[in-house]
Amino acid sequence: MHDIETIPKKNEMVILLALILAASPIIITYLLLILSSFSEEMLTSLSLSSFRPTIVNWINVFKGKTAITGGITVNIWHYTLTTLLVALGITGLVVLISTMAGYALSRMRFRGRKKSMIFLLLLHSFPGVSLIVGVYFMYRLTLPTNPLALRVYSFLYVILARGALEIPMSVWLMKGFFDSIPWEFEWSGIIDGASRIKVWKDIMVPLIKPGIMAIAIFAFLAGWGDLIYVRTFLIDPTLATYIESNLEVEFTHLPLIAAVGTFYLLPTIIFFILAHQLLLKTYVGGIKG
Amino acid sequence: MVSVTLKNITKKFGKFIALNNINLKIQEKEFMALLGPSGSGKSTLLYTIAGIYKPTSGKVYFDERDVTELPPKDRNVGLVFQNWALYPHMRVFKNIAFPLELKKAPKEEIEKKVKEVAKMLHIDHLLDRYPWQLSGGQQQRVAIARALVKEPDVLLLDEPLSNLDALLRIEVRAELKRLQKELGITAVYVTHDQAEALAMADRIAVIREGKILQVGTPDEVYHKPKYKFVGGFLGNPPMNFVEAEVENGYLRIYESRIPVPAQYKELIEKLDIKEVLLGFRPHDAEVVKGISEGLVGEVYSFEPLGREQIVTVSVNSGAFVKVFALEGEHFTFGEKVTVKIREDRIVLFDKKTEEALEFLEE
Repeated sequence: MHDIETIPKKNEMVILLALILAASPIIITYLLLILSSFSEEMLTSLSLSSFRPTIVNWINVFKGKTAITGGITVNIWHYTLTTLLVALGITGLVVLISTMAGYALSRMRFRGRKKSMIFLLLLHSFPGVSLIVGVYFMYRLTLPTNPLALRVYSFLYVILARGALEIPMSVWLMKGFFDSIPWEFEWSGIIDGASRIKVWKDIMVPLIKPGIMAIAIFAFLAGWGDLIYVRTFLIDPTLATYIESNLEVEFTHLPLIAAVGTFYLLPTIIFFILAHQLLLKTYVGGIKG
Repeated sequence: MVSVTLKNITKKFGKFIALNNINLKIQEKEFMALLGPSGSGKSTLLYTIAGIYKPTSGKVYFDERDVTELPPKDRNVGLVFQNWALYPHMRVFKNIAFPLELKKAPKEEIEKKVKEVAKMLHIDHLLDRYPWQLSGGQQQRVAIARALVKEPDVLLLDEPLSNLDALLRIEVRAELKRLQKELGITAVYVTHDQAEALAMADRIAVIREGKILQVGTPDEVYHKPKYKFVGGFLGNPPMNFVEAEVENGYLRIYESRIPVPAQYKELIEKLDIKEVLLGFRPHDAEVVKGISEGLVGEVYSFEPLGREQIVTVSVNSGAFVKVFALEGEHFTFGEKVTVKIREDRIVLFDKKTEEALEFLEE
């Protein structure tokens, strides 16, 4: 006997099949990519006739040597590092600003609070690409001439610009998380003698750790996966720009690129496996007016 | 220890008036209960004393000191919340130590004080647990310990027992009262549970719709309610009310009539009142079989409670009174009975204002 909520539904298998079918184009694409990375030649059809297994591609990737055209080698770890820098920078920026702004919107009363909340939603609905011309002009305005300063500047700028796109939604999510914490915790801290900042830091922030985790993951993935902003502003290449730039090159050894592509996917996959429960919770309970 | 004086406190939230011109003095070392239904403003009043809410107008004094503008942390109050608000990410020790750490007290002193207060509340073996590892009763003790550890001048409690199960609540309330007396601390206790207020408080302030209706000892508010609402809110079952008309020294209640109680004779003449509400407590009357002198009606229902039973008597269609009777007596539904009320325990209210007559002349 089953409890009522665990009775297997009759159509469950049918639904499952339909879902798998619907997802199959994506699943097949990823499978081909991963298989190609272990193959001497790129797999371009389902026949798998060109599949000749090898791990040379991966050896090259992990050696940090990626041959492109004409025997030029590049260091993949250097690209990974730049990607990581951008992603972590965006994560830090988004987490810091949205936990503070979310707290303020949730807990403090000030003029224009409602309006700024609506404005945030509006901002969220702007696609980043549509802003890029304007953002680029701002970039040019303050461009330094010293090469080293320029490199640092481009990092900071891309973090700021790409992070700004993530912030509106994250602020909303954080506001939702703060809303769900009873006022008593905060009052208790204030009565105990803590300042508002101390209450925020020592009581509120620890209480919404799951929420912070969630927006941190979102922000990280946004930075890790971004192509357009990174390509436009960053002097150093990242994994994304590297893969993108090699797709057009005539003599690229594509299975190698497939291996880099798979490598590039790893953090995303790991994050989703670790955090999918958390992310589901976020979307169900996070957004409240 | 301090006394707390509230002078003409009004608190508005937008257009809503939560507190309407409250005047109250809480004596040093007194246990004052703020009793009222939910939404009456009793918690708002407590938070005004704590400094979390600032009154829209009026003043709060601790002794002679005006603390109206003082932030909560400078008032030296301890507050126990209804949900206890223990910090879930801190161990019990850290929870209790938190107020002292904020005061930047030396480590040894913190440890000594935390252990002291934990011992007093019998939670000294739980110090390195997390709040979620504790039972409701233990969590509540931790909350009280945290409020007490900084040796507050006033202890404020916001329905601290309402999250406990019924048996534990009765146990804890006796303990809490003892603790308050032992420490000799001024305490303000918010509750909607009249039994709690009666059992624990030195004085009770009954609040409704942002106004204090009556302040007095449990005995006073129980036996001499100033308003019909107070009589109806305290006691279980609450006070009975029946409409009565004054007629040549008698009170006519539907088909029955009883003489005007001696203590009201002069007053009724003086006030020249015709319509009153007669109130009496269920244990201040008895049910006698058959029709005789008193309030005549028929048995509507009876509920045995072990040692005694509650008999509900219908004195007219739609008008019921509840009276305690002894267990041994047997009643049948629809039986004709007479309710004999102890004359000296009758309280008469003005029908219009619902205020007790003896307070009307003031």
